[in-house]
Amino acid sequence: MSYLIDEGNDTQHLLMGNEAIVRGALEAGINVATGYPGTPSSEIIERFSGVAKERNLYVEWSTNEKVAAEVAAAASFAGLRSMCVMKQNGVNVASDFLLHLASSGTRGGMLLVSCDDPGALSSVNEGESRLFARLLEIPLLEPGDFQEAKDIVPWAFDLSEEIRNIVMIRSVTRLSHASGNVRFGPLPDSTEARAKFTYSGPLLDPATGPVISMILAAPELQHGPQQEKMRRAAEIFETCPFNTYTGPPSPELLIVCSSICSLYSREAVEILGLEKRVGILKLATTWPLPRKLVNRHLASAGRVLFVEEVAPTLEDHVKVIAAESVAEIGEKIFYGKQSGHLPSVGELNPDLVLAALSRIFNTEADPVPSAFARDVQALADRYAPSRGMTFCPGCPHRASYWSIHNALKLDGRNGFVCGDIGCYVMGTMPAGFSTVKTLHAMGSGSGIASGFGKLKHFGMNQPVLSVCGDSTFFHAAMPALANAIHQQSPFTLVLLDNRGTAMTGFQPHPGSPTNVLGDTAPALDMEKLCRAMGAKVETSDPFDLVETQKKLNHLLEYGEGAKVLILRQACSLSPERRAHKTYEVRVDESLCRGEDCGCNRLCTRVFGCPGLIWDREKKVSRIDEIICNGCGVCADICPAGAIQRREAS
Amino acid sequence: MKPSSSEKLERNVIQEGLCIGCGACIGLCPYFQSYRGKTALLFPCNVEAGRCLAHCPKAEVDVEGLSQFHFAKPYDGSPLGAWRSIHVSRAGDRVKKQPFQSGGTVSAMMYFALRTRRIDGAILTGRDGILPEPRLVTRPAAVFRQSLSKYTAAPTLEAMNRAVTAGYGALGVVATPCQAMSLARMRMNPLAKPSFHDPTALVVGLFCTWALDFRQFESFLSQRMPLREIVKIDIPPPPASVLEVYLKEGKIDFPLDEIRPLVPESCGYCPDMTSEFADISVGVLEGRPEMNTLIIRTERGEEMVREARQKEYLVLEEMPAENLAHLEWAAANKKKRGIRRCREAGKLNGAEGTSCLRMREDAAERILGNGKEF
Repeated sequence: MSYLIDEGNDTQHLLMGNEAIVRGALEAGINVATGYPGTPSSEIIERFSGVAKERNLYVEWSTNEKVAAEVAAAASFAGLRSMCVMKQNGVNVASDFLLHLASSGTRGGMLLVSCDDPGALSSVNEGESRLFARLLEIPLLEPGDFQEAKDIVPWAFDLSEEIRNIVMIRSVTRLSHASGNVRFGPLPDSTEARAKFTYSGPLLDPATGPVISMILAAPELQHGPQQEKMRRAAEIFETCPFNTYTGPPSPELLIVCSSICSLYSREAVEILGLEKRVGILKLATTWPLPRKLVNRHLASAGRVLFVEEVAPTLEDHVKVIAAESVAEIGEKIFYGKQSGHLPSVGELNPDLVLAALSRIFNTEADPVPSAFARDVQALADRYAPSRGMTFCPGCPHRASYWSIHNALKLDGRNGFVCGDIGCYVMGTMPAGFSTVKTLHAMGSGSGIASGFGKLKHFGMNQPVLSVCGDSTFFHAAMPALANAIHQQSPFTLVLLDNRGTAMTGFQPHPGSPTNVLGDTAPALDMEKLCRAMGAKVETSDPFDLVETQKKLNHLLEYGEGAKVLILRQACSLSPERRAHKTYEVRVDESLCRGEDCGCNRLCTRVFGCPGLIWDREKKVSRIDEIICNGCGVCADICPAGAIQRREAS
Repeated sequence: MKPSSSEKLERNVIQEGLCIGCGACIGLCPYFQSYRGKTALLFPCNVEAGRCLAHCPKAEVDVEGLSQFHFAKPYDGSPLGAWRSIHVSRAGDRVKKQPFQSGGTVSAMMYFALRTRRIDGAILTGRDGILPEPRLVTRPAAVFRQSLSKYTAAPTLEAMNRAVTAGYGALGVVATPCQAMSLARMRMNPLAKPSFHDPTALVVGLFCTWALDFRQFESFLSQRMPLREIVKIDIPPPPASVLEVYLKEGKIDFPLDEIRPLVPESCGYCPDMTSEFADISVGVLEGRPEMNTLIIRTERGEEMVREARQKEYLVLEEMPAENLAHLEWAAANKKKRGIRRCREAGKLNGAEGTSCLRMREDAAERILGNGKEF
C-alpha cells in the first residue's frame, strides 16, 4: 500500500512537494485527477494513479492539457472535487478553455495545478504561469514549503467551492521535486462520491442551471459576478493562514516573497545574521493580493525586497498597491528584479538572495569563498570532459536523425526540419546532426512545415520535414496535419513513434494499449489515422538506416501534398528495451581505421553514441559494454566493418 | 584548425558548380555519397590531406604534371593530347554481334581483357531505368549488358574505389574525360602513400562533348514520356544535331538546342573531349556509324590493342585524314571554350587552392589561339 494513503493521522512522512500535493488532495476527498505529462509536474498524476483503486478515484493522462482541464471540469460540474495538473507550458494549452471556465464558474471544488520550471531545467522555456491567474481572473495560491504544499490543497478546494470558481496552485521545480517532512491529516471516507449534473435551473443560476460561458451582449451578467468572486477571494486571503510574517515589528528591510523563495530568503537572512533587521512576508495568496495585509507590512518598513521566480509578478502587483496607498504608508525604496538586485532570468537560490541583501546592507558576503570557487573550476576544467547534450545509447532518435540528415544532404536542395518538444529537441544540436532548424511548441513543427510548404508559390523550393513524437501527435500535431492535407501543403511529417510519452517517463497516450492504471485501453492506430486523414503514409524501423533513408528520399522527391513517415522503435529506456540487448556489439581493432582518411572516427566523432568510446592510446574505437544498449546501428555505419554485432543470446 | 580536404572539396568544387559527380571521392570514406547524379558531403572530416581532394578532376589539377608523369612530355595544349596512333576500329569476330553504340570497340576491349585475364574486373556504367549506375563486372559476357551510352554524368569511379577496397588490383575502367583525368591523378599516388599500387591495368576513355545533369534530364523526359518506355538514348554524329530517345514503340527526337540547357555548369570548364589521360580513347566516327575512332596513347594501351587485334577481338582500319582533321577541329573548339571559361572564372592558374586547372602559360595561350598555331 502506498504511504500516501497512510491512515495514521498526524504521522510524518518524507514527501516530495508533488506527493504532498497529492496527499493534500486525498485528505480533501478528491474524486477526479487529470493531466498531461510534463516535468516537473508528472509525479502528481502518477501518484494519484497508484492509489486510484484504494481511494475510488478516476485518474487519466489526457490527450493534452486543454482536454485534461475539460475532463476535470466535468467532474466539478457534477459536484465532485477535481484537479487538473500540468507544467507551465501546459497552462498555455489549457488557457483557451480555462478562460471560458472562469467565466462559467465551477461547482465541486476544482484546482488547476501548474508546476513551473524556473531556469527551464527540463523545459524549452521558463514561462511564468502566474500571469494566467490575472488574465483568467482566478485566485492563485503558492505554497511555501512541503507541509504547506499538502495543507494548502484542502484549503484551496474549500475556497473553490466557496467562490464557485477554479483555483490555481503554482509550484516550482525545487518544491515539486525536493522532499521534506510532512505531517499527515485524516483521510475522509472515499466511497460516498456520487456524480450528477444538474441543469434544470435558470440559465445563470450557479448551482442548478446550465453551465455556460456565454456573455452575449451583457458582460455584467457574468463578468460582473466573476469579479465579485475575486473580491470575495481577496477578502478571504486577508486571513489566510498560509500568509506568514517572521521578523521584527519594524524591520529595516521587508522581504516580500512566495513559494520556495521564502526558504531561500530565510537561509540568506540567517547566514548574514540579519534576523533582527529584516522581516520576511511570505505570501501564499499571490492573486488577488490581500491589500490590507500587504499595506500593514509595507507601512512597517521603508525598504522592500521582492524575492520570487520567474517574472516580477508579485513585485509589480505590490508596487501598485504601494502607489495607491502612498498617503497612508509613505514612500518606499524597492529592490528586486526591476532594480537589478536579483536576476530576471533563471532560478534563484540562497546565494543570489544573499548577494542582494549584502548589496542593500553594504556588507561583505562571500557565500562561496572565491579561492575555493577557483579551485573547483580548475579541477572541473581538468577532469570533467566538456560534453554536449546527447541522446541515450541506443536511442532511436539518433538513428532517425542520422537518416533524415543524410537524406536531406543527398537531396541537395537545402531541405530542413521543423521540430517541437520532446527528447528530439536535440535535433537542433550535434547530437541530432543539427537537422532541426525551427523549434517551438508541441505540434508547432508540423504547423510551421504546413506553412513552409505553401511558400512554393513564392519560389521556395527547399523540401520541408517536420518531426513530432507519438504523444505529441495526439496532443497537438493532428490539427496541423489536417491543415496541411486540406491545404495541399507539400511536406513530410516524420512521426518519431517511440511507444509512449518517453521524455517524461513512459506515460501512456491515446496510441498506447494501456491507460494510466495499466489496464487495457483501445490504442488509436496512427498509421490508419493519418491514412484516413488523406496523407500518404510510410513506416520504417529507424534502426534500418538504408530503408529509412530510401523512404525519406522518395517522400522528398515524389508526390504532392502532406506525407507521413512513421519511424517506429521503442525508446531505449523503455521497460521492453532497457532489460534486453538485441545485439552484442564489439570492435575488431585490426579493422578499425581510426583517424585515417577513409573514416576519421565517424562513429565517435560524428555518430556520437555514448556507447562508443575512443581509445586514445590504441587509436581505435571501443564499445562501452556497460552502457551499450545493443541496438547494433553503429555496425551499419562503420565503413570498415570493424564494428561487429551478433544476436545476443 | 585548417579546413579539411572534404571541406575544401565542398567549398571549392561542389559549391562552385564544378562538380560533375564522377565518383572519384566516393567509396573512399563514409562522408561523400552520390545520389541521383549529385555528390553530397554528409559530414566534414578532419583529414587535411585526403584522397577525395587529391583525386578530384576539378580541384587544382596540374595537367603539366600529369602529362610528364604519364607521357614523359610537357602538356602543350594540342587538341587531342598525347597519342601514339589513331585508328578506325570495331569489335572483331570473336565478339558476338550486340546492339552496340557505334562499333563496339569499348565492349570488345573490356571483353577481351577480362577473357584473357589482363584485368581482374571491369568498371563500367550500367543503368537502373535511366539512372546511370556504376558497376564492377567480372564475367566477360556481362560486359555487353552495360554497353550503350548514358549521356548523363555518372559516379563510375565509386565502383572502382569500392573494387580496390575489395582487393581488386588490375582493373579495366571505362571512363569519361573527367574520370580519366581523376584516374591519372590517382595513379600518381599524390599523397605518397607507402602501401599504394596502381589498381588499373587499362583505362579506356570515351569521347565526350558534354554530359547532362541527371536530375534535370529525368525531369525533362518524365514530362514528355513514361520513363519506363525508354530503351536507348543516342546522340548521332553531326550533322544530325538531335538527341534520339528510342521507346519500346517508336522514337522521339529532341533538337540539341532544347537539351543543352540541361548540361551542368561543370562541363563548361572542361577542356578535354577525347579523354587525353586514358590509355586508349574511343569515340564515334563521322560518316560511319558502325565504326569507332580509336586513339592509342600509352604503351600498355598499345600493347593491349595489339593483342586484341591479333586474337580477333578487334578490327582496325586506317584513319582517313579528313576525319582526323575534323576530330582535331572539334576537340580544339571544346578545349578553347573550356580554358576560356576557366580563365574568366579565375580557375586557370588562379588563386592557390581554388583553381580548377594548372598548366604552363604558353600552353594555355596556345589553346586560346593567342600563341603559335599547331
